[in-house]
Amino acid sequence: MLDLNYWEPGNLLEAVSLLSNLGEKARPLAGGTDLLVKMKKGPINWSGIVNLKGLPELKGINFEGQTMTIGALTPISALMANPWVGVHFPVLVEAARSLGTPQIRNLATVGGNLCNASPAADVALVLLIYEARLLIMGPKGPRKVPVQEFYAGPGQTVLEPGEILTAVEMDVPPLNSKGVFVKHGKRKSHEIALVNVAVLITPQPGTKQIARARIAVGAVASTQLRLQEAEESLSDTVVTVDALERAAELAEAAVNPIDDVRSTAGYRKQMVKVLTKRALQEAWGGEL
Amino acid sequence: MKIPISLQINGEMYQVQVPVQKTLLSVLREDLALTGTKNGCDSGECGACTVLMDGKPVNSCLILALDAVGKQITTIEGIGGITELDPIQEALVAHGAIQCGYCTPGLVMTAKALLASNPHPTETEVREGIAGNLCRCTGYVKVVEAIMDVSRD
Ligand SMILES: Cc1cc2nc3c(=O)[nH]c(=O)nc-3n(C[C@H](O)[C@H](O)[C@H](O)COP(=O)(O)OP(=O)(O)OC[C@H]3O[C@@H](n4cnc5c(N)ncnc54)[C@H](O)[C@@H]3O)c2cc1C
Ligand code: FES
Ligand code: FES
Repeated sequence: MLDLNYWEPGNLLEAVSLLSNLGEKARPLAGGTDLLVKMKKGPINWSGIVNLKGLPELKGINFEGQTMTIGALTPISALMANPWVGVHFPVLVEAARSLGTPQIRNLATVGGNLCNASPAADVALVLLIYEARLLIMGPKGPRKVPVQEFYAGPGQTVLEPGEILTAVEMDVPPLNSKGVFVKHGKRKSHEIALVNVAVLITPQPGTKQIARARIAVGAVASTQLRLQEAEESLSDTVVTVDALERAAELAEAAVNPIDDVRSTAGYRKQMVKVLTKRALQEAWGGEL
Repeated sequence: MKIPISLQINGEMYQVQVPVQKTLLSVLREDLALTGTKNGCDSGECGACTVLMDGKPVNSCLILALDAVGKQITTIEGIGGITELDPIQEALVAHGAIQCGYCTPGLVMTAKALLASNPHPTETEVREGIAGNLCRCTGYVKVVEAIMDVSRD
């Protein structure tokens, strides 16, 4: 039988020093929707749980000027309940709505979605197009990491032993930007994505040009990806069916999915192209 | 390692000794004999284990009992009673929305929270609200009708 140890630190510094002393032997606990599933499935190579729930530093959603900060322990359902998140970061709310079930969304946290580092994570994917910065606290002090530099592989992040993700911050994008999140699965709700895509485009006012595009895809490589080449093919470009098609082809070429029980690599690759084009078209909205 | 804790369930305090990995669901069923809460999948998928934590529906199979300390937990035993059913329970009975009944306690808890936060939901909102409660028998139509019926009263 499992014999685990358990701690409930009362502040961030205590949590950091506990986790740095325990190293690989312990895992932080947020909502537990990934950690408990892993614990039950086993085998696990850790023997202790450090519950983060007593850390006030990890809670709340705040706006300051053009920047929103979301505490790592914020439940996914809180993103949907906060009207300002919907006004400034509507795609984040779309992704939140698609994550799991109402019960899961009340438990699952934003920080857990990032730190679990699943290539299919929905809320984490959208943080890529909003170019979020991750606030991390560790034994050597605080640091900030852009979300695109956070992942080291499937289930792996750049977090060092003892480091805790405390919050996520992101700037409100230009007012005329429009984003879209598409999640492709076999069922409508309640499913981990086979492929998910998030795009954000900023039109050049008064023209038929895109000033800037951001495209992120999930579940099609060992980590979630920003697709730079596809994005660059659209910047300062007149939007036509051909231009969107070319971007979608570049997206397809940039991914490297695997075969698994849920789908084949070939199908996933094709879906990247189809969904990227669809998302871009929907985000552009206007005539082509 | 067993840790002594107090849990607040349906307004009462319960003292138990739990190993770290024991879930709230297991404590309810095994230590407290509150077996109305069901174990369907033990992995967050089915919603049979749904309880309210500080008023919000959650999967008790994914919560460590230790993590529930300091929260107000409501289980199906805290809703209605054998002689006095909750309006949601009455509506489920009246609509024939219960077959084997395994999903029903979890469904009642979810519906309770849904109607508390949104007393007059649309049908879409009801369907989205109960998307985390799998039912292998009814096909959901009567369940949705029953919940809509309560929301009209
Ligand atoms: C039935 C079900 C359906 C699901 N559906 C979806 C879905 O549709 N889309 C989706 O993206 N995910 C889904 N998930 C996965 C999961 O719910 C999410 O990834 C969730 O956001 C994880 O958050 P958590 O707080 O529960 O994480 P936890 O399980 O508490 O933690 C996850 C990992 O991150 C670490 N960690 C957590 N917080 C921190 C922190 N602040 N600092 C450092 N490390 C930390 C933990 O040690 C652990 O290793 C589903 C899960 C279940 C059980
Ligand atoms: S038993 Fe908890 S969700 Fe199925
Ligand atoms: S009535 Fe049998 S599972 Fe719902």
